[in-house]
Formats: sequence, structure tokens, C-alpha cells
Amino acid sequence: MPLNRTALWYKDAIIYQVHVRTFHDSNGDGIGDFQGLNGKLDYLQELGIDAIWLMPFFPSPLRDDGYDIADYNAVHPTYGTLDDFRKFLESAHERGIRVIIELVSNHTSDQHPWFQESRSSRDNPRRDWYVWSDTDTRYNGARIIFLDTEKSNWAWDPISKSFYWHRFFSHQPDLNYDNPAVREQMWEVMKFWLEMGVDAFRLDAVPYLVEREGTNCENLPETHEVLKELRRRLDESFPGRMLLAEANQWPADLRPYFGDGDEFHMAFHFPLMPRMFMGLKLEDRKPITEILHQTPEIPSSCQWSLFLRNHDELTLEMVTDVERDYMYDSYAESKMMRLNLGIRRRLAPLLANDRRRIELMNGMLMSLPGTPIIYYGDEIGMGDNINLGDRNGVRTPMQWSGETNGGFSTAPPERLYAPIIQDPVYGYQAVNVLRQKASEHSLINWMRTITGVRKSTGVFGRGSIEFLYPANHRILAFIRQLGNEAVLVVNNLSSSAQAVELDLRHYKGNILIEMFGKNIFPRVGDLPYLLTMGPYQFYWFRLRRI
Amino acid sequence: MREMIVSELNQALHELAKGFAHFLPRLIVMLILALVGWAIAYFVKVVLRSVLRLIKFDKLSENAGASQLLSKAALPSATEVLSRFVFWVAWLGVILLGVSVLGILGLQEQVAKFFLFLPRLFVAMFIMFFGLLAASFFSRAALLAAVNANVPSPRVLSLAVRSIIIVFVLSVVFEELGLAEQTMLVAFGIAFGALMLGLAIAFGMGGRDLARRFLEKKIVRDKKEENEDELSPL
Amino acid sequence: MAEESFLTDDFLRQLMNVGEVDILVGLPTHNNAKTVGSIVHTIQTGILRGFPRARAVIINADGGSRDGTPELVTGVSIDDARPASNLYALRTLHSISTKYANSSQPSNKVAFRTILAAAELLRAKACVVMSPESANVEPEWLSKLLGPIYHDDFDLVTPTYSRHKFEGLLITNLLYPMTRALYGVRIRETYSPEFGFSGRLGTQFLGQNIWTDATNGTGVELRFTLAAITGKFRICQSFLGEKIQIERRSADLVPALRQTVGALFSALEPDFPVWSVVAGSEPTLTNEADHGVLLEPLRINRKRLREMFSTGVAELESVFQSILSPATLAELQQIARLRDEDFRYPAELWVRTVYEFAASYQKSVISRDHIIQALAPLFRGKALTFLTENRNASAEEIENNIEGLCREFERLKPYLLQIWKSSE
Repeated sequence: MPLNRTALWYKDAIIYQVHVRTFHDSNGDGIGDFQGLNGKLDYLQELGIDAIWLMPFFPSPLRDDGYDIADYNAVHPTYGTLDDFRKFLESAHERGIRVIIELVSNHTSDQHPWFQESRSSRDNPRRDWYVWSDTDTRYNGARIIFLDTEKSNWAWDPISKSFYWHRFFSHQPDLNYDNPAVREQMWEVMKFWLEMGVDAFRLDAVPYLVEREGTNCENLPETHEVLKELRRRLDESFPGRMLLAEANQWPADLRPYFGDGDEFHMAFHFPLMPRMFMGLKLEDRKPITEILHQTPEIPSSCQWSLFLRNHDELTLEMVTDVERDYMYDSYAESKMMRLNLGIRRRLAPLLANDRRRIELMNGMLMSLPGTPIIYYGDEIGMGDNINLGDRNGVRTPMQWSGETNGGFSTAPPERLYAPIIQDPVYGYQAVNVLRQKASEHSLINWMRTITGVRKSTGVFGRGSIEFLYPANHRILAFIRQLGNEAVLVVNNLSSSAQAVELDLRHYKGNILIEMFGKNIFPRVGDLPYLLTMGPYQFYWFRLRRI
Repeated sequence: MREMIVSELNQALHELAKGFAHFLPRLIVMLILALVGWAIAYFVKVVLRSVLRLIKFDKLSENAGASQLLSKAALPSATEVLSRFVFWVAWLGVILLGVSVLGILGLQEQVAKFFLFLPRLFVAMFIMFFGLLAASFFSRAALLAAVNANVPSPRVLSLAVRSIIIVFVLSVVFEELGLAEQTMLVAFGIAFGALMLGLAIAFGMGGRDLARRFLEKKIVRDKKEENEDELSPL
Repeated sequence: MAEESFLTDDFLRQLMNVGEVDILVGLPTHNNAKTVGSIVHTIQTGILRGFPRARAVIINADGGSRDGTPELVTGVSIDDARPASNLYALRTLHSISTKYANSSQPSNKVAFRTILAAAELLRAKACVVMSPESANVEPEWLSKLLGPIYHDDFDLVTPTYSRHKFEGLLITNLLYPMTRALYGVRIRETYSPEFGFSGRLGTQFLGQNIWTDATNGTGVELRFTLAAITGKFRICQSFLGEKIQIERRSADLVPALRQTVGALFSALEPDFPVWSVVAGSEPTLTNEADHGVLLEPLRINRKRLREMFSTGVAELESVFQSILSPATLAELQQIARLRDEDFRYPAELWVRTVYEFAASYQKSVISRDHIIQALAPLFRGKALTFLTENRNASAEEIENNIEGLCREFERLKPYLLQIWKSSE
């Protein structure tokens, strides 16, 4: 199946987030690799995936799961070779699947040769590639991001006897983007991969690229300049490729990252995600509609990226204290589940393995405006292991079958990069791809159905959104529209049955056609449209005027 | 001569006896009727007395102020009075019925009139009773309202209300009984009018200042001294 | 049941959309446009501060306002259709309003019934009634009235206020001592514009048949408190603050009597099995020690009180003959003749007066409403005595005097039982 060659392919795509290490091990060393991933592309194609977002697979001391990069232009030997990667890339493209890779632009590992050189002496040519200072008091307006582990954004380097700046772990020194050499080098890195055929980059931690005294060192104008420059060069040399921003900010602060359509193509809508969980627990749509109401318009070529969970903790940075406490009490009763300012649990455990809630959340993910991202394993409802440190609890091996190691690897179980989930509820024997494929009503088959329905119309990916505000606050209802096509989405956020009257006056005369079963529902008349919904139920209706 | 007198006497006696014999059955019938009537009347009295006791008629009449009147007249309680009255009326009624059956002319007409009059008598009593009740209630209501509003001479006001209502009730009663209808109506009209005029003059002259202050308050509305000196009870 | 429902279709639809709630705030109004906006704002603040995660709703039972009061309430509903609200809230806080049907004039009884019905349909756990007439409502009042119910499982929370020592004499001289003596529970404010109650208590009271009885229309709030007592519900008191009303209702003694004393007297008959066996009284749990009374001097028209008492005793003799015992009446006439300086309405006489009134009320010796009206001038006399005795008293002395009066009521309770039973 050939690649979708439209310029705005990312608007119609469904993205699958995966780490090559977790997916499939082809050589029995207990760690997933590219050959293994390659072998599973058919699975992803069947699922309806259009693009794979790969977590960092570059050479790295792996003290931050690969986000501490020691070499930008190679593949970590445990995952395979550059050739393996190329083969994988080709196979993906053959199946119509694009590949998005990480570009960790803000910082490198302290094992990267550049940093080794930079710290060796103050006169080294690469000295200015990083941000050095004799004191640790500069830029004190900047907050600490990894609150659980770091006490300061400055770390002392015994070798060059000065402080270096790091917004993340202390072994991840920040690159100095005021240095043109750094900016040029970053472009070279991008070019390397683009020439190979990579379709897009997710730029990690972009708000923090540039620091300035007297500011909070986030989202500065200089940072945007750097990014616009990269984009310009991208468009010039590699049209049709995409840049995705990772910036955990309020929507209003995120808006500048789209520029005038001349910066990022896509950005993650971080603040929406915790509010979806909150709305579900509160049984009240208010948090969801409010944040979307506050979300600014973006250029027509740009797109939000939506997700339910990812490799990090479910972040609660962008909520108020009251909301955060509520989320902690609702979703993370045990302190062990909390990390930094978030909750480190997978989707299924967060929703108590309730199939209806999982479907409802996925339904919202697929129908709200933006490109949805599925985190690997969530399509079968994998569980987590909070006893693993940091965020590793949500990064356990993919569960393919009921055999040893869940079919992930032929290595002895002790050699796996992380233990596979084994508890009776979420363990690999209960939750795996093979078993679910064989069962008609399994979660994975339902996911295949919904991705299919979503892709049957361009309305979800490209259409506008208009919220209906029925008086029953437990119902989230909105209309997606693109040209003449309109779809009505109604979600019951409550655990009990609800009745709702919708004001569909504008759509009077339309027949409602339910999109999963394709059955006709009553036509819209003069009176408010009454719907009765079961617990956590949702409807997608095509509005058809015949 | 003696034989003539004796035979005449004999004939007269004979006639008398014949007439008497003729009359006797009717007399006996009447006596029987009277006895039966007494029984019926007694029965009615007992039933009525129970009914009245059940609806606490005594209390009602106390409210009406009728009990006070009765005790002043050294009569027993209202229930008792009414029961006995009904007893006598019932008995009399039955007797009169009997008399009319006897066929004594002239009396029949009077009996009929009596029976026609009876309902109106009851209606009039009914009106009187409830009229007294109303008069008592409203006069007391006026008394309380006047006392609580600190209006001068509340008892006079109360009495006035009671008088008006009683006069009105009396006139209606008399009209119902058909006694001197026109006279009563005119008399009532005059009395009522005079009373009203009198009250008007009295209030007008005496309440001149009061009226002025009242109007001032309503129209000018700035004197709140009186209220400020009051406390709120809750 | 053929009885017509008193909830309108529109209100039911609104209730349906609100769904189950944890907290319900009832707000009866009639032409309160001037104050209702700030009251609702205060309520919202109070709920969001005290119970940020609770599902809550404000129910406005309006008696046919013509000044736009209902719109002012619904217009500040906190939901996503009105994003301009400046109160941050975790979830939707509905503000709905209904004009209670089948009533052409404002009625506390119908308003309260509407609120109780809504509380039952929405399965509210804790409810509170607020009044738009109170001038100094604070957000903390919500926590104070709802907290014990929401957290500690109480059923009724009555307020206590700090008042001027001479305000609320009807409460300190009659309602409080009498309910205390008869029902055995020391609730200071049995009749108050704001109070909290549990869903349990509300449902039970809603089921009682006082609603259709026309004569018991007034004073439903007092009946509510008494129902809580007789039903052995858990009651506590909560200190709110000063009692400041928007309009000083000074000349309304007779309506006040009807709503309070009338309600109390009419409750005595059905509640007889309860209060006839109670002896003494138990203190009620109160949070926060009372903040005392305000002692500043107040200009009061004592002469008028004296006059109205004396006039009353004189003019209403015929009425009192039906109500009071000859001995009591004679004593009253005696004190009415006292000189102003010597005037005193002794506590013992007052208690006997009140009890005889209660007994006469029960027997309906004359129209019950008239009995209540007849009490007014006598109350004025007692009030005057209270003012005189406590003219220079401290807060503590006043409280002791009130306590003394309470004991007098308790001591003479057998007398009431005696004259009560004599009618059975």
C-alpha cells in the first residue's frame, strides 16, 4: 500500500508510539530490535496505523531511556545497525506507514563526544557548544522539571571547574543554541536522517532551547527563531516532511510554536489529556470543554496531536493545585504511582480495566480535533508495573502471545530488558495480541474497527468543531464538520444511564446514521433531540440530508 | 207533659250518646296518635341530642355567645334547649295532624298554616344562630386587631362591629319570619345609616389629627421614628 | 394520587439535567433583585471553598418575582456554557430556578416544599436553606451549616447568632424556653432563615401530611425543627455571626407570632406523646462558643410597650376570660394597674400565661388565630420587663436570666400537663 502523498498527510494519520526496545526481540538477547520491529509491521498495518513514532534508538548510556544521546547519527548496537533501520524504513513505507523519529535537540548525554570535548578545557573549540557558568545563580527564573531527582538546573563539572546548565537530568547538559555552530550541526543531523527517508521528527523539549537572564527560560522568542530556521530549511530541501513539537505548555503558550504555519506542523496538546481523565472521574464535561475553549486557533496547515498516555508519566503540570490533588486522589491513591508532577500508570490500569471506559476514552481520542496517537500496548489493554523505577513501569515488553516472555523474546526471562507483566489480570497470558485477534469482541478488534470508522471520513482529521452545551453536564457533545459532511459525536461521561436533549436546530431535517452499525436514527425535527445513553456510552452519527 | 220532657230528654241524650259514640272512635284515634306522637317526638329528641353532642353544638353556641344568653335566662344548655324545643314541635305537629284528620273545620286551615310556617321558623333560627356566631367572631377579630394596632377605644370598635352584624342578622330574621317586613327593613336602613354617620362624624372630628399624620406618612414618608424605637422580635 | 403535582414540567427537566448531587442549596426568593446576585456569589464561593469536589446545585424557589430575580440566579450558573465566570470551579455548579406552581403569592411553605422535593429527587446528601434577606452572609456560613451534615452525619444544623441583647425577645422569652422545656432539647434558634439539614430528614419531613392542611400554612420552618426533635434526628448548632436583616421587621409582631408560636402550639397536639414524657432538657452540641451579645445602648419606646400591655389587658378581658384561668387573669389585671416604675411581669406568671394559652389553643376555646393575636399585648409586657431587668446587665447576666426563665418553664411543665389532660 503506497504512502498517502497528500501534503497534509499528518492530519489524516493515526500514529503509533513505540520504543524499538519494547516491541520484539529477533536475536534472543532479551532486547527488542529493528529486525523484530520490522517483522511486526503487518500487525501495525492491520491495526490501521499510518505512522510510527519511534522513541530514541541512538547510542546512549541509557540513563534516561535513550533521551541522553551520545551519537546522533547511528543506531544503538543492541537495537541493530543503521542498515537494519534502513530496511525497516523501507518495509514501513511499502505498507504505507510513515516513520517519525526523535530529535532530542535541547541536550545531549554527558557521554557525547561533544560534551567530552567541551568540558575538557575552557579553550576547547566546542566549549561554547554548551552553557557554562562560574556561578549557579544565573537564570534563576527557570523552574526545575525533574523535581523528584534534581535540586538545581546547574551541575558542577569537576573537570573544567565550572557549572553547566541542564534543564533535565544532570547527566544531560543543555546545548547552547546561541552558538551558530550548534544550530548548523543540528540541521546536519536532521539532514542525515531525512536523506535516508525518515518522514518526520519529534523535537523533544523545545521550549527550553534558549536561556535568557530575567526570564523563566521557556518559550523565548530566540527559541522560536531557531525553530523557524530549521523549518525553513526543511521545507526547502524536503517538502512533505513534518515537525512535531513536544512542549508541555498551556495552549496559549503553545500557539507560537505553530508560528504562521512556518514553525512546527504539529504539537502535542498536553493540557487536554489530564482533563479527559478528570472529566471522566468528575462525570462532568466542564474541564474538557473549558480547555478546548481556551485553545487558540492554529494555522490551517497545522494540527494538534492528541494522546491518552505515553512513555512518560501522565503529567499534571498544566492543571491547578485543586485539580492535581483531585487527580492524585482519583487515579493514584498509592504514592508510588506518583512521579514528578504526574501519574506513572498505563491506560487500562488507570481506568480500572473497565472496557467501557477504555472504549469511551479512545472514542474521544479519535473524535476530538487532532491527530490521535496510540501508545504501544494500549490497543490490547496492557497493564503496568509501578515497582520498576522512574517511568519504566509503562515501558514493559509487548505481549504478543501466551508463551514464555509473551512471545516478545526467546531469551531466558531473567535476561529481558525489563520483566514482562505477569499478574493474573494484565499478565501476558491473559492480555496478548494472539488471543485477542482470535476473539471477535476483543479490544484489539474493536480498535481496528474504530480506526477504520475514523478513517472513513476526513471530518475527524481535518474538520472544524462546534460544541453543543446540553444542560446535562455529564454529556460531552459536539459536531465535527468539513465542507458538507457533518458528524455528531455524543459521549456519556457518567457511570450511570443518562438522558440528554440536544439542540440540533441548525441540522433540522438531517437523518442521523450511527457510524459503527450504520443504522438510521430518527430525523432531526423541531423539538430538542432526545438521546438516552448507557453508562460510558458514546455515539458517532453522520448527519445526512436526503 | 212529664212524658214529653222525659222523651225529649231521652231523645237528646240519645242524640248526644249517638254523637258521642260517633265522636268517640275519633277521640280514641286522636289519643292514640298523641301517644304515638309523643313516642316519635321523644325518639327524635334523643337522636337530635346525640347528634348535637357529637358535633359539639354546645361549644359552637358558646362561641356564638348563645350559651351566655341562655344561662342568663336560667335556661339549660343549648343542646338541651334545642332538643326539647324540637320535641315539643314534633309532638305538637303530630297532634295537629291528628286534629286535622278529625276533620274539625277551620282548625285544618290553621294547622296547614302552622305547618307552612314551621320551615321558615327553623330557617330563621338557623340564621339567628349563625349570625350570632359571626357577630361574636368578627367583633373579637376587630377587638384584637385594634388592640394590637394600638388604635384607641378598641372595645367601642368591637362593639360597633358586633352591633352592625346583629342588627343586620335581626333584620334578615324578621324578613324571613315575615314579621313586619317593611318596617324592619326601613328601621334597619335608618339605624345602619345613622350608625355609619355617627361613626364618620366621630372619627372625622376625633381622628382629624390622626388622619393628617397618617396621610403625611403615606405621602411624605420620612418619619420613621416610631419604627426605630421598636425591636424585632425574631 | 389525584393530587396535582406542585413541580412544573420545566423544573423537572432542569432537575433531570442536574442529576445526582451531594450538596443542595435552597434559596427562596420574592422580588430580591437587589441582593440575590451577591448572595448567590457568596454561596458559590462558600461551596467551592468548603466542598470543592462535591457535586452541588443551587435551587431557587421563586414566588413570582417581577424584578428579574430568577434570571439573576440562573445567569451566574457555573458551567461551560458560560466560560466568563470568574469563580474557578472543578466541576459544573448548576443554578436553577423555578416559580413554584399553584400559588399566586409567595409562600414559605410551598418554597420549602419545592426545595425538599428537589433534594429528594436529586438524592442530595446535605442541604441548606439560605435567605436573601440576611445582609451579612459569608461564604463560611455554607461550611458551618453543611459541614456537620456532610462530614459528621448530623441531620439538622441550626444557626446561632450574636445579636443585640434586646433583639429577638420572642425567641429568648418564649420560643427557646418553651421548646426546651417541652421537647427537652436546647435549640436556641428554632425558627431561622438559614439552616442545614440532611437528605434523610428532608425526605421524612416531605412525607408528612402537613402540606395540604391549610391552617398549618405558616411556620413550616419551626415544624421542621420540631419534626427533627421528635424523630430523634441528630441535631447540632453552628455559630454564624451577627444577625443583620436587610429590612428590620419591627412592627410585625402578630405575623411573627403566627409563624412561630402558632406553629409551636399547633404542633403540641400531634407531638403530645413525645413531649409529655420528656423531663428536663439536654444541651445541644454547638461548634464555636457563642460570641456573645452586643451591648450597645438602644433607644426603645418603653412607654408604648407598657401602654399596649395595659390596654390589652383591659380591653381584651372578655377574650382572656375564655383563654386564661381566673387566677391568672386576676394577677394580670393586678400588674396592669402597677405604676410604671413598679411594673414587672414575673417569670412565673408569664410561664403560666403561655401554658394556659397553649392549652386553650389545643381546646380551640375560640378561634385559634384569635388566641395567637391575643398573646401579643401580653408578650409586650414581658418584653418590657426583660428590658427593664437587663438594662445594665452584662452578657453573662443576661444569659443567666434567660437560663432562669428556661428553668421556670421546665419547672411548671407539670402544670401544662395538668391543664392539658383535663380536656382529654
